[in-house]
Amino acid sequence: MILYWVALDATVTSALYVAGVQPRVFGKRAGRSGTPDAPPTTLAAIHADPAVEFSEVTRRYGQRTALDAVTFSVGTGSVLGVLGPNGAGKSTLLSTLCGLQEPDGGAVRWFGRNERVPLPKALRRRLGVVTQDTALYGELTVRQNLRFAADLYRVPSAAHAVEHAAGLLSVSHRLDDAVGELSGGNQRRVAIARALIHDPDLLVFDEPTLGVDIETRHAIWSYVRQLRNRRKTIVVSTNYLDEALALCDRVILLRNGRLMSEGTPDEILERTGRCVEIDCAAEAAETIVASLEGLEDIAAVNVAETVLTVRLTGNGDANRVVETALTSRHVEGFRVRAPDLLEVFQSLADTAA
Amino acid sequence: MSEWFAACSAGLRLQARQFGKARVIICLTVVEALTFLFLVSLFGLTGSKAPTAIIMQDHGALAQSFVTDLRNDHHSFRLEVMGATEAKQLLDRGDLVAIITIPADFSSTVRSGHTAAISVAVDNVDADLTDDIQRAVPAAIETFGVQHHFGGIRVAPAEHDLIGHDTAYIPYLVVSALALDALVVAGALAATAMAGEWENRTLVQWRLAPASMTGVLIGKLITVVAVSTVAVWMAALLVFFGYGVHPHSLPGALSALVLCTVIFAAIGACVGNLLRKTLPVATLFFGLALPLYIDSGSLEPERFDGGWLWFVAHLTPVYAAVGVLQSAINGLKVTPEPVAVDLGILLLWAVAAVAVAHSILQRARRAQ
Repeated sequence: MILYWVALDATVTSALYVAGVQPRVFGKRAGRSGTPDAPPTTLAAIHADPAVEFSEVTRRYGQRTALDAVTFSVGTGSVLGVLGPNGAGKSTLLSTLCGLQEPDGGAVRWFGRNERVPLPKALRRRLGVVTQDTALYGELTVRQNLRFAADLYRVPSAAHAVEHAAGLLSVSHRLDDAVGELSGGNQRRVAIARALIHDPDLLVFDEPTLGVDIETRHAIWSYVRQLRNRRKTIVVSTNYLDEALALCDRVILLRNGRLMSEGTPDEILERTGRCVEIDCAAEAAETIVASLEGLEDIAAVNVAETVLTVRLTGNGDANRVVETALTSRHVEGFRVRAPDLLEVFQSLADTAA
Repeated sequence: MSEWFAACSAGLRLQARQFGKARVIICLTVVEALTFLFLVSLFGLTGSKAPTAIIMQDHGALAQSFVTDLRNDHHSFRLEVMGATEAKQLLDRGDLVAIITIPADFSSTVRSGHTAAISVAVDNVDADLTDDIQRAVPAAIETFGVQHHFGGIRVAPAEHDLIGHDTAYIPYLVVSALALDALVVAGALAATAMAGEWENRTLVQWRLAPASMTGVLIGKLITVVAVSTVAVWMAALLVFFGYGVHPHSLPGALSALVLCTVIFAAIGACVGNLLRKTLPVATLFFGLALPLYIDSGSLEPERFDGGWLWFVAHLTPVYAAVGVLQSAINGLKVTPEPVAVDLGILLLWAVAAVAVAHSILQRARRAQ
């Protein structure tokens, strides 16, 4: 039976686990394996030299509070991930950060200066923004779109800057195509190229990989890492935990406009714990659940057909859970993975409770 | 059948909810309904009561009878008896279409079997109106003769034109058409260009950039004006060289048309920024076009219509535009206000429109 589940679930993760090696399917180090030259950004550096500081920032729309006394900072040259489900307040936070909205309460500091909306021109020159909807002129070509952005920012040698930005985002071959004819992924690349054209210091990406294919998603991750290597400060909002873990130095988690948690991806994972997925026959699920009862490592168990998802406590031992489950002799396979966003929030809610 | 009704009910509720979310379109639909009613009403109302003065130098029975015939035979005129000095002042000011003077010897001349000459001074700004006078007076004379059993004509009109040259119907009419061209072409183009920025959310680029949003707006308007000018000039050249309407001053006429496209493009940009949806703004401009055409004095100077029609005309820039264009193309003064005042009004419209558009864009940059 044991051999059977190994055969069924012959993933690298499982194999490493059996060999006693703690696998990192997701995570900062795994995600950055392709960029060994990335300069390290220490926590001390992040806090010493913040590019943006939010202090008790509140934003309301009528009776609804979109941001509720949110406080955080983004270190210069670091990548901050803003995580949260839809409606958590991510876009409002990013709009406030870009100077598109004035907070109703609290203060925002950019590069050490308190500013009010509309932001001074000098500061706007240092910002590059990729909005959720690409805000491109669909009837114009890629070149014309980029040229308009270059003109708005008075980029010297605009024609060259257009070619350069398009090259960075691998859309040089589509420069003379209408943006409306491009795929969603390529449109997203053009939007990023537009945000980069004036070489800003602070880049804001609002869900940059929303609705794009996996190839484009990884390409966008690669661009973000390249930008980080160039000491650009980046704030990226996302629904995807794996994206935040792969890209970000620090992560903040928002829910209902409130900052639920903040830390490095590793800290977040340590706080929330990993998940163990156990494959079994549907009728065996109750037996396995019964065998796990009493283990202190478990925060919650969810049964869905033939998969049991065991969410561990922050310092929960996955080994112990798997070994205990195996004693029931009904396990057909298992894998250990990082929690998804929903599980992170459930875990944080449990901790708060 | 119940399935069909369920589908019908779903469609009904869907559309009702969609309308609930599209209040601008609903409002404009109501406006459209009113503008078409307004349009048809204007066709009947404009030019139906041309103000005409009667100077009664003879108060005899025959003179009174002749005036009664004048009133009864032609309902297009609003006849009012007044003194010679007042009438002259009103005609010169442009408040009267014509002055009909019944001479002191009218009754005695007619009674003695001779022909009485009636002086008719006409503001011949529009040949159509002059023609109306020319038709009305002989008709009244004929009725007068039949009524009093006078054999042969005993009254003859003697016409005196206020303006040295006549302006035919088509040359008069097309000027308003060119003003309307400028309004619809430049206004709708600018309005949809700006509304599109809001609708497609591309305006966020403007808001984020260090560039002046009003600067970008003016840049867009310059392009809109260039394209609109080409379109309006083509229509104007067709009028000048195809219809054979010889402009009083060709450079002046073309310049006035450029000015109109500038003004209407500015107004269009303002409307586009206010409504922020391309479909409603386009509908609005096309829907307003014909009522504004009629109320701009397209058939005759709007000043002759008096009352609320004239008041409403003053509320639209088309009225002032027609004043400027009639001066440039036909050499006519169709508004009581000097052409310089019409120009000033147009510039005020443009400045106000750009100021409103600027204010909206600034507010957009400050907060959403």
